[in-house]
Amino acid sequence: MIHKTSPEIGGMGHSIKRKEDLRFIQGKGNYVDDVNLPGMVYGQLVRSPYAHARLKSVNTEKAKKLPGVLAVITGEDLAKANLAWMPTLSYDKQMVLATGKVLFQSQEVAFVVAEDRYTAADAAELVEVEYEELPVLVDPHKALDPDAPLLREDREQKNNHIFHWEVGDRQATEQVFQKAAVKASVHAFFPRCHPAPLETCGCVADFSRATGRLTVYMTSQAPHAHRTVFALVGGIPENNIRVISPDIGGGFGNKVPIYPGYVCAIVASLTLGVPVKWIETRSENLQSTGFARDYHMTAEIAADREGKMQALRVKTLADHGAFNAAAQPTKFPAGLFSICTGSYDYPTAFCEVDGVYTNKAPGGIAYLCSFRVTEAAYLIERAVDVLALDLKMDPAELRRKNFIPASKFPYKSSLGWTYDSGNYEAAMKVALDKIGYQQLRKEQEEKRKKGELMGIGISSFTEIVGAGPAHSFDILGIKMFDSCEIRIHPTGKAMARMGTKSQGQGHETTYAQIVAQELGIPAADVTIEEGDTDTAPYGLGTYASRSTPTSGAATAIAARKIRDKAKKIAAYLLECNEADLEWEPGKFYVKGTPSKSKTIQEIAFAAYTNIPPGLEAGLEAVDYYDPPNLTFPFGTYVCVVDIDKGTGEVKVRRFVAVDDCGNIINPMIVEGQIHGGLTEGLAIAFMQQIDYDESGNIQGGSFMDYLLPTAVETPHWETDKTCTPSPHHPFGAKGVGESPNVGSPAAFVNAVVDALSHLGVKHIDMPITPWKVWKVLQEKGVAA
Amino acid sequence: MALKIEKTFEVQEPIDKVWDVLSDPRKVATCVPGAQITEQVDEKTYKGAIKVKVGPSVTDYTGEVQIVRLDAQNHEIEILGKGQDVRGRGSASMKMTGRLRALPNGGTEVISVSEIGVVGILAQMGSRVITEVSNIMFGEFTKNFLARLHEPSDQPVEQAAGAEVTPIKATSVAWQATKGLFRKKPENVS
Repeated sequence: MIHKTSPEIGGMGHSIKRKEDLRFIQGKGNYVDDVNLPGMVYGQLVRSPYAHARLKSVNTEKAKKLPGVLAVITGEDLAKANLAWMPTLSYDKQMVLATGKVLFQSQEVAFVVAEDRYTAADAAELVEVEYEELPVLVDPHKALDPDAPLLREDREQKNNHIFHWEVGDRQATEQVFQKAAVKASVHAFFPRCHPAPLETCGCVADFSRATGRLTVYMTSQAPHAHRTVFALVGGIPENNIRVISPDIGGGFGNKVPIYPGYVCAIVASLTLGVPVKWIETRSENLQSTGFARDYHMTAEIAADREGKMQALRVKTLADHGAFNAAAQPTKFPAGLFSICTGSYDYPTAFCEVDGVYTNKAPGGIAYLCSFRVTEAAYLIERAVDVLALDLKMDPAELRRKNFIPASKFPYKSSLGWTYDSGNYEAAMKVALDKIGYQQLRKEQEEKRKKGELMGIGISSFTEIVGAGPAHSFDILGIKMFDSCEIRIHPTGKAMARMGTKSQGQGHETTYAQIVAQELGIPAADVTIEEGDTDTAPYGLGTYASRSTPTSGAATAIAARKIRDKAKKIAAYLLECNEADLEWEPGKFYVKGTPSKSKTIQEIAFAAYTNIPPGLEAGLEAVDYYDPPNLTFPFGTYVCVVDIDKGTGEVKVRRFVAVDDCGNIINPMIVEGQIHGGLTEGLAIAFMQQIDYDESGNIQGGSFMDYLLPTAVETPHWETDKTCTPSPHHPFGAKGVGESPNVGSPAAFVNAVVDALSHLGVKHIDMPITPWKVWKVLQEKGVAA
Repeated sequence: MALKIEKTFEVQEPIDKVWDVLSDPRKVATCVPGAQITEQVDEKTYKGAIKVKVGPSVTDYTGEVQIVRLDAQNHEIEILGKGQDVRGRGSASMKMTGRLRALPNGGTEVISVSEIGVVGILAQMGSRVITEVSNIMFGEFTKNFLARLHEPSDQPVEQAAGAEVTPIKATSVAWQATKGLFRKKPENVS
């Protein structure tokens, strides 16, 4: 148990209000597009209308003649500086501006720079590009056909295959399947979605010819990593690059990669010697930046007749688009997808993934939350429901029967992960009791007799976050530690900086609470700063729910280093031995004599004014935290739906989310994160898909076709929790941002399928639109 | 994006007179809003252009129109048109099959099946809007076609090569299309 500090201190467990909201709710946030520098000019990208075409010529003459236009940069121009291509985060490369051919609709072809935005947009219309259309590859299932068009002519490998990745014991799994009494299988397509953050991507690149320094204000979830990439690719000394991520209006992974627009703005600023601003439109963001999912998955479960699961076999085709620009740890081309055994105790399992190129926008893992954990959790939770149907067992009972028992933690999964802690049955019990599961099943039976359609869906997911331990996790070679530096000022106030970067998660509040918890300095007195590479310690950034497991841990450890030094100062001030001192949040006191004490504020003052002999002045510490393991949050979500037989509309009647993310820093923020993630999950399950037609035209390239949930569509969320601390994290936390995104899609889909299962429906692919349900109702002859 | 649009309408004119217009791409082109035939390449091939205005940006397709099949006996014509935007903003193609049927009342039934392929900016507007746009364009076409029929058959095709035509404005078209969406359920397009 975490010692709870006073409300004045506001350490862990206090629902203190978010410090950052003071400026956000006043409209005084400082986003990239709020950065306006003297002499700043504007960039606009020219994009390809074709999904696959030979680039025959790019004529910039008319555009250059428009008054106010300063430059038009083409792929050929960049090629002269060896910048036409850039490395991706997955050891592939990506075109900055197209040379030779274009590979997806909306691909970047030229960059126009003008004195104002409107002129830049007008000039972009004047750039004349001659294309010769090539056969388009949209269906990933056809990517490896012998007659499939070859997309990446630049590669030595002359086919569209990117990678094959497998884990587990293929042979042992086969053997179990051969003998298994029951085999359940599901083919599930997790459609291409988009993070669609409220703020699109953009930057202001400011190269000073006077100082030789390049400052880039950009929408970056990983400013330090981006600085290093700019240095390596651009050949600019890293000390001369400063990346500043100001306030970020949502990321969800969309702001992890480096996009061509950033590079073009930097090149333009280097060339022109003035600041260049580039901001995406909404459609550009949806059409060209990091997408999520696009996984064509098959799961098979072998079980005995009593429902004991014996083996899991998973085969997946991953559509990565035109470039493999997925952001994932180097050793994991399919991210952490091998968490697909989920919450269940499988003696053996095998999982394989093949990645292929298609004529679609690049992106992939880590976008729209999680390193492919969302796909894995969705697949296993769907497959378990299919097995329950095949066995005619209650899905809750089947889960209970196969959960990894609480006594087995730390648990080594058959696909190689060591789960740190868990108590799945406890979380499920809270969820089922809260929603009144047995009562709902009775109601369902009654309703079925009357011909009404109602379904209950369960999802008992296991998350895997906090990447990650240096022995296994790196991105482009940089290990996935993260950091914190804390400085205590003479008056006892504090400033802390991290290698992560909040995009709305509330870091300015939660990190301050960790410092408050560890040092007893009120959270209100702790200022948190992230996102400026000149001041913050190096780190890999915020995505995949890693901030609390990594930088949060670093914050606690750095604070403990400060406390150790504070103890020495306190002993000096109190004229006693360190061993005689006791700590309670905010002060050291002499054992047995609580009146003899020094507060952390008094100690801080002494660190600058009355320094013990032999001790360095000041009170600060830095920590680079290498997590010993990942953390494994979990939970059970239960969803109740009613289906309108006339329209096919699915109404979410109730949704109970029980999460276990270990010890909680700020319950209000955790609840807010869960509300947001569940709403994201609702949208994925019912509304969203970036689809392409056979010519490679994007069919979800604006908010007219790619739908975002509003308060109107969103049901009331009921949340609850259990608490199973992580045994290896400094304060037992696990991370929570992604859990609802990971756990909820299966709960929604399971509920819809449950409502229709008596009609013989076993699976419906997302997004479950009223049209899709209506077609099923027609097929089954039950439409009203 | 591929759309298949089937339209049937009746005209109170004898089949031979209707066929005279339908079988001549130059005459048909004058009925298509924003379109013109700029050059005849050979007996069956023509060069043409069509302008569609979307907000501030004019998509200016130029390309070829070819008569793939001309069956005067059965009054059937198959036309294939392909064009690219002059500034490389996309392409469009259309395969149109037209068939005439004499009606007992002396009139003629015009049956057309068009398969339209659009790549680029217009295609991104989504099939619902494109279908509505096509419907509106077809409405205009029908009106022009009827007007054309009422002209004396020996009147020369009025559009000279290079003449300016008024582009169809997709802003107003899009607005009508949007209204169309609210008016009735969008047609299913596959």
